[in-house]
Amino acid sequence: MRRDPRSPSELLAAYVDGVSELPAGERRALEERLADDEALRAEAAETRGLIGKLRELPRDGGEPDWAVLERSICDAVGAEVPRSWWRRFGWRWVVPGMALAATAAVAALVLHAPAREAGPAPAPVPSLAGRDRAPPAEAPRGEDTMALWLDGEGVEVELAAEALLDVPWEGDLNQEDLLPASDLAWIDELDAEALDRAEAWLGDPGSSQPVRRKRS
Amino acid sequence: MDVLAARLPSPLTVLSPAAVTVDPDRELVERFQGGERAAFDQLVRRHQRGVWHLVRRYVKRDADASDVTQLAFVRAYRGLASFRGAATVRSWLYRIGINCALSWLRDHRREEPMEIADDALTDANPAPARLLVGEEGARLRAAVAQLPPKQKLVLELRVFDDLSFKEVAELADCTENTAKVNFHYAVKRLRDILGGEHAP
Repeated sequence: MRRDPRSPSELLAAYVDGVSELPAGERRALEERLADDEALRAEAAETRGLIGKLRELPRDGGEPDWAVLERSICDAVGAEVPRSWWRRFGWRWVVPGMALAATAAVAALVLHAPAREAGPAPAPVPSLAGRDRAPPAEAPRGEDTMALWLDGEGVEVELAAEALLDVPWEGDLNQEDLLPASDLAWIDELDAEALDRAEAWLGDPGSSQPVRRKRS
Repeated sequence: MDVLAARLPSPLTVLSPAAVTVDPDRELVERFQGGERAAFDQLVRRHQRGVWHLVRRYVKRDADASDVTQLAFVRAYRGLASFRGAATVRSWLYRIGINCALSWLRDHRREEPMEIADDALTDANPAPARLLVGEEGARLRAAVAQLPPKQKLVLELRVFDDLSFKEVAELADCTENTAKVNFHYAVKRLRDILGGEHAP
């Protein structure tokens, strides 16, 4: 049961017997009481005297032979020092073991992360400039993938970006508005005048008519 | 005020066991936990006397006190590997000593039915009269025996075992403040019992 002193005088015996064990605040409060209360000072003196006499009492029993007792204890316990299980296991194994386990976990996550799951793929960022840009050369399919660590997750990205272009665009543009690479051969057949007009339109699309696609 | 200050104990001159905040046995425990058996032998040398006298207040014969002390240190030896330092090593050893003494009293209840109380922790056997020195000593011991159990335990641990109030609190299973207040009322009651020169 917790028992806090109701008044500083309840700590009088503790003060008398071990002033240094009292917190400074309690000690100060008691000393203020002692300064004002003569009866309390007398009680302190009585207490000190009684505790002193108690300490002078002979201890119970006769003293045994301490050397014999020590030897009997040391014989009884044996020579082997008992060790707690975590000490028996030893930190020298715990730390490398934990490091190895962490490495294995990361490696497993990176190497065995599931490939991009079926479902809607992230849409490519639309670019108007991309309309006139030829798609990249077809990369070989198969195992050409690359493992990346993104935001704490292991992902596998196909090196062949063609798959990204297969994603239907849901913006303002229609799929047919994108020029296939095979349709760009006509550019080589444009004469100088047409090229000038095209460049002028690209620089300021509202200034003149757009370039018409010319199929060969 | 100067006169009063001269009468009162000075914090610098009255150093109690609790003034030492670092457990002096901690290093020995660490050495033992590191596998050094000799560290335990040193602990035995340091504390066998204190444990023995503590146990002796519970059991009646010196030989029994030695047996119980030995048992206490054997248990401490087995448990020292797991000692985490929540209490001081000394109060931990004393706690084991008290537990062993109580177990011993329970085991020998039938042998000494009239001398072993139900609550052995608080009704430990009073000191044998043959060892008392003088009439005043006998009166003091008789007065201590009349104290309420908790006050008696706190007073004995403090005065006879020289434990700090923190250690007393650990062993009496109370707060440090409760131990101090109990100590105050134990001394106050002793003065009442003794009357005369020790009465306020």
